Amino acid sequence: MSGYLLNRLGQALFVLWAAFTISFVLLQAMPGDAILIKFQNPELGLNPQQIADIRASYAADSAIWVQYIQTIGRFLTGNFGYSVQVGVPVSTMLAAHLPATLKLASLGFLLAAVFAVVIAFVSSLTPFAWLRGAIQSVPSLFISIPTFWLGIMLIQIFSFRLKLVPVINPGPWQELILPVFTLAVPISAPLAQVLVRNIDDVLTRPFVAVARAKGATRQWVLWRHVAKNALLPTLTIAGVLFGELIAGAVVTETVFGLNGIGGLTGRAVGSQDAAVLQAIVVFSALAFVTINLIVDLLFPVLDPRLRTKAGATA
Amino acid sequence: MTTKLKRLALTLATISASGLFLPGAFASEPVKGGTLIYLEQQAHTNLYPPAGGFYPNGGILNQITDKLTYQNPKTLEIEPWIAESWTVNADATEYTFKIRPGVTFSDGTPLDAAAVAKNYDVFGLGNKALKQPVSEVINNYERSEVVDPQTVKFFFKKPSPGFLQGTSVIGSGLVAASTLALPFEQLGDATKIIGSGPFVVDSETIGKELNLKAREEYAWGPAKLEHQGRAYLDGIKYIITGEDSVRIGALLAGQADFIRQVQAYDEKQVEAQDYQIYAPSTRGVNNSVVFRPDNPLVADVRVRKALLHATDAKEIVTTLFSANYPQATSIIASTALGYRDISAKLAFDPEKAKALLEEAGWTVGANGLRQKDGKELVLTAYESLPQPQNKETLQLVAQQWGKLGVKLTVLAGDSGSRVVDDLDPLKTPVSPAMVGRADPDVIKSQYYPKNRDVLRQKGGQSDKVQSFADDKLNGLLEALTAEPDREKRFAIAGEVQDYVIDQAYAIPIFEEPQAFAGAPYVQGIAFESVGRPSFYSTWLAEH
Amino acid sequence: MTTFDTIQDDAIASRHGQRAGGRFSLPHFVRRLPVGLALSWLVLAIAFLWAVAPWLFTSYNPLEGVGGEQLRRPDASHLLGTDALGRDLYARIVYGAVHSLTGAFVAVALGLVVGTTIGVIAGSVRRRVDDAIMRLVDVLLSIPPLMLSLSIIILLGFGTVNAAVAVGVTSVARFARLSRSEVVRVRRSDYVEAAFGSGGTFAAVLWRHVLPNSLTSVLAIAALQFGSAVLQISTLGFLGYGAPPPTPEWGLLIAEGRNYISTAWWLTTAPGVIVVLVVLAANRVSQSFGKVAA
Repeated sequence: MSGYLLNRLGQALFVLWAAFTISFVLLQAMPGDAILIKFQNPELGLNPQQIADIRASYAADSAIWVQYIQTIGRFLTGNFGYSVQVGVPVSTMLAAHLPATLKLASLGFLLAAVFAVVIAFVSSLTPFAWLRGAIQSVPSLFISIPTFWLGIMLIQIFSFRLKLVPVINPGPWQELILPVFTLAVPISAPLAQVLVRNIDDVLTRPFVAVARAKGATRQWVLWRHVAKNALLPTLTIAGVLFGELIAGAVVTETVFGLNGIGGLTGRAVGSQDAAVLQAIVVFSALAFVTINLIVDLLFPVLDPRLRTKAGATA
Repeated sequence: MTTKLKRLALTLATISASGLFLPGAFASEPVKGGTLIYLEQQAHTNLYPPAGGFYPNGGILNQITDKLTYQNPKTLEIEPWIAESWTVNADATEYTFKIRPGVTFSDGTPLDAAAVAKNYDVFGLGNKALKQPVSEVINNYERSEVVDPQTVKFFFKKPSPGFLQGTSVIGSGLVAASTLALPFEQLGDATKIIGSGPFVVDSETIGKELNLKAREEYAWGPAKLEHQGRAYLDGIKYIITGEDSVRIGALLAGQADFIRQVQAYDEKQVEAQDYQIYAPSTRGVNNSVVFRPDNPLVADVRVRKALLHATDAKEIVTTLFSANYPQATSIIASTALGYRDISAKLAFDPEKAKALLEEAGWTVGANGLRQKDGKELVLTAYESLPQPQNKETLQLVAQQWGKLGVKLTVLAGDSGSRVVDDLDPLKTPVSPAMVGRADPDVIKSQYYPKNRDVLRQKGGQSDKVQSFADDKLNGLLEALTAEPDREKRFAIAGEVQDYVIDQAYAIPIFEEPQAFAGAPYVQGIAFESVGRPSFYSTWLAEH
Repeated sequence: MTTFDTIQDDAIASRHGQRAGGRFSLPHFVRRLPVGLALSWLVLAIAFLWAVAPWLFTSYNPLEGVGGEQLRRPDASHLLGTDALGRDLYARIVYGAVHSLTGAFVAVALGLVVGTTIGVIAGSVRRRVDDAIMRLVDVLLSIPPLMLSLSIIILLGFGTVNAAVAVGVTSVARFARLSRSEVVRVRRSDYVEAAFGSGGTFAAVLWRHVLPNSLTSVLAIAALQFGSAVLQISTLGFLGYGAPPPTPEWGLLIAEGRNYISTAWWLTTAPGVIVVLVVLAANRVSQSFGKVAA
């Protein structure tokens, strides 16, 4: 087990390093850079000599491999550098933007799970086939709506027409209502589909028939067996959903003007703020490998069948 | 306070929607107190005062800093503000300002002659060590001299007649020594900007929100203003709201009091609900399309002239814009100083355009595009994000040129590619351009190679330029900023306007306003001469 | 923006796996065609026709506006109203189909071809190489997909095809994972073992037995990914990285129309509804692939 753990840890470190390197190369290859974008702005009225001086002061034109070594060195010592666009240390920016995204993402995921459970159970328990069909197609609908469009529509309807929730200057929890809903919609769809499939599976198993024959209600069977069975697949997709949550956060935060990592990412790409982007990539890769590592390690614990063939998951 | 305001705003919106609301009901005494909720489209980038040309920057600097002089937005005359009086020598190389006593920065340090001198030494000469650039409104600056604690004198290498107006603009806000001591890149942090203005920065959430509060002891507003003493408002809350639809929707739903950047197509709806549109002119260089003659495709003046006459500015204005966006009649706005009406040279005339293109050797090929020596007349322009409906404007221009067999490709582009390509005339032979400032110097700001260099001349902003340079234009521009006599200066300004159009360097389209909208109870909104709002005299009526 | 995740892939894969070897038969398929599925095919067929022969559906020019006709409400002459330049919105949607559908097609094809190749190789080779390949796939997954897309667009330049490539790259990892697990599953099955046993070479067995049996579920995912790609391309438009004007790409229509929502609601609503319908139809059809293959 410890050899397996070490191996997985080594692989995780490799993934981190490779994500860092790929993003570094991508950022270097882009046309222009953060300094040019910020200071070539005609509103600032800088002449070419001044811009050249600024570039020199940032050592922006030193050899690429020197910059690579320096950046890796800085990251290893926990120094993420300065944002060129905003002029604030990257660590300060991340600290300022992380709480909003964590709140949004965790609540979004929670609400998505609630949606999924409701959809799955209602569709399984309803006696009418047409209703079941209708409810089971809700997830398909949910993943067919562009997130930004949903957000804009929700603002128009709930904030501006019905005036139920302000989007400007809202309270700390008020500001989360519409964004969390917007984010939960696309995330809930795959979860709901997993659950629906599990319920279908469980209901066809022989023990269900036995339990029913012994007088157990359909609901009781569902609760008892599905709850247990739903945990595993939810864990498996947590790693994948993480990427979705980040992408969803970029759009949601942009639409609602929330001050989170997503919005920061969008702006940083626009201004090619390399230091900020590099830090975001490293953090998201870190989160990705951590979640996957935990899932991989938890799987054998939760599912005895897998104990003998650990590592069968890709 | 804000929740109360919000409730009031909501009530008001309901009343106004039900048609019972009368906008004229507020012509009474200004009400003190309240916080103005102001929705800004973009976050500020840098609050070094000379960077105030960028609207989000200027919109903040105009509240937290004072200027030496005040340009009356109605008469465009220069009036006293921090300077009580001033004298200028005959050839405009020496300016002496008498500083109003008792003015302090919000950190308590005095705003005296020494402080003013320090500010202008930085604005006029820049500070290399701190990367602070030279202000584009100050030309030919040499040095300052503190004559006595309340008197400061500035010396110029050459005549600098635009300097007096330059002391009144948004880029000349006075800041404390502690602010000037910071390196340029740290000036993005609003809390570090110490000014003497009617408001001070209270708190900031970078990229999202900025709170200003009124300064109680403020007693040095522009002398000729009716309102004196502290601001009526208790504070201003700037909220960055990038989505156009959210800004306008929030205003009309009563969630905000005042918003910047209202698109022309939303104006009708705002007015239908008795809200107010404010569209102050930026009084500078008109919203235009300019050429980079270094690119061989547009090196021939006949080609440029043809495209000038192929552009139907009237159709653009009537299709996309409103009465707040007058059709251009020169390269600068009709409300700008030194304006000359040259609309006769700007006429839409497709026949003439065709003839000019034929004469220049561009004939229509088999695919409908004009060709010459095996090359097609295909031009490229990047849209400019800050300009109103620029993407639509350029598409309409492309549509009009297309009728003559000239293709204009409009690119959106990421900021990196845009900046890099924009420096290369071969990649961007055409570009949208505008700049605001109520002084003829603005023409130099726009065209001079050492300033914005919109035409991309050799020795200017870009090292990609092969050979293009127009010494005659540059000579005129230098003369314009160095001519001390007002009448002669205006004459030169007129000459430049004629010259730019005779060479067809630019196709002026419309006079660009800055469009704002406010709730009916927002009173006393004022604008400095190029359209940045001033909230010093603003108050919120009962609602 | 939403991408479909491995669990759905698994769902289809396992459904297929349980009843592997089934064959698709058209008459059978049509007879049992449910209404929802029929409508889905109809939607896709119309979208396809729009892409192939847009001129049959509208007489308006999608690129050139008519002065004075701007921002008209939907009525008899302009079914879905007009935009700020006076262009007929319905015509723009019809002519936009080719851009959106090609974009989505290129995105899916890229993910499918590259991803499946990687996955099949990984599933067919020794454990260590397989591990190495799959860690590289992990690297792709660990970079936020949207950021990857944006970086690629900035590198390649703006345009429908480039946007499609940017979106396609983010789905490579997903196709790779799925096809690998399929190959691994099929390899373990009895008849493949038997094929090896009877002396088949590795390549021959892979080609004749493993690939055909692995690909059905991969193709079902491809249909699903098609809808996802349309959405992802539209998100790029929203973030300002869409095709250059005046391209009437659907995502761009939604994204640009949103600015007019308080004055001209139809500009963003109409293309939005069209995209939802097409994506929904693609998803429905993809689901039916999973079942029909059974």
